[in-house]
Amino acid sequence: MTLLLAALFVLVAATGTGVVLSRDPVRQVMAIAAHGLGLTLLFLALQAPDVAFSELTVGTAAVPLLFLVVLASIRNDRKGQ
Amino acid sequence: MSVRFRLLLLIASTIILLPAVVVLALGMPAFGAHPLPYGDAINRDAPGQRHISNMVSAVNFDYRGFDTMGEEFMLVTAVTGAVMLLRGTRGESPGAEPEEVPGRSVQPAGEAIVLICRLMLPVSLLFGIYVVLHATATPGGGFQGGVIIASAVLLLYLGDGYRVWRSIVRSRLLHLCEGGAAAAFVLTGLVPMLLGHAFLENILPTGQFRDMLAGWLMQIENLAVAFAVAGGFAMLFLEFLEETRAPKGEE
Repeated sequence: MTLLLAALFVLVAATGTGVVLSRDPVRQVMAIAAHGLGLTLLFLALQAPDVAFSELTVGTAAVPLLFLVVLASIRNDRKGQ
Repeated sequence: MSVRFRLLLLIASTIILLPAVVVLALGMPAFGAHPLPYGDAINRDAPGQRHISNMVSAVNFDYRGFDTMGEEFMLVTAVTGAVMLLRGTRGESPGAEPEEVPGRSVQPAGEAIVLICRLMLPVSLLFGIYVVLHATATPGGGFQGGVIIASAVLLLYLGDGYRVWRSIVRSRLLHLCEGGAAAAFVLTGLVPMLLGHAFLENILPTGQFRDMLAGWLMQIENLAVAFAVAGGFAMLFLEFLEETRAPKGEE
């Protein structure tokens, strides 16, 4: 295992812990996106570019966006009542 | 559940599960070792048999193309279900206005953001199309390219706001993309059966190795997946963003 891979494993573990430990939902969505970016770099370093592509597009763009929209929708409903 | 009970549960499950985790971790193959023979077999045979250099596409669209068809219909079903759930009581009129929180003014997007979004939208679209078209030559393919295209269209919402996004992105076109592409995938698979071959068998000449258009039947399936994924994800984005619009009395 090279130094690069070791560093990326630590990065993924750190960002994953960040997702679990963040309590504010909006910050947690950002933490999920950061974790997805870390996973993308790890997959790239492990020579799996196809998986890295999928993780980048779905994990750091599509899923956080859907979460953010849901949070906005919930907030709007609470304010309206 | 009290905190005390939860702690007890945590300790008990740790004591029970930890030996199993240790045994599994020690029994795993070494890092980087791949004892299964299939990857090596594909790497050895696919360039000669299918004339394409992206083995992931060879597996997805040819060697196990039938599985990909199942995945395609999983996506169609999931998006259809989400759309039905979300649209149920809301309707789909394109003239709706975004909802505003009382007491919080809505700031228009800054000029820099609008400019960057308008510049990046065509570039991202082009990159998505590039990824789709080079499915059999370089990493990427219909799924990844389709998601990139759907995300690129989303820059409309980020830069120009809800009204422009809603007036340009039409759900009927997205339905057509998604459903039509899924049907095209199945029909492509049925054509070889009409000629007496197996379902999805690659009956066309596969072209030159490393050529962008090598793979033929795989190219058609790849395009179908790209349209279905782009339409499906854009549909999801549209329906989720519609959740933030102002409710109307008549709907």
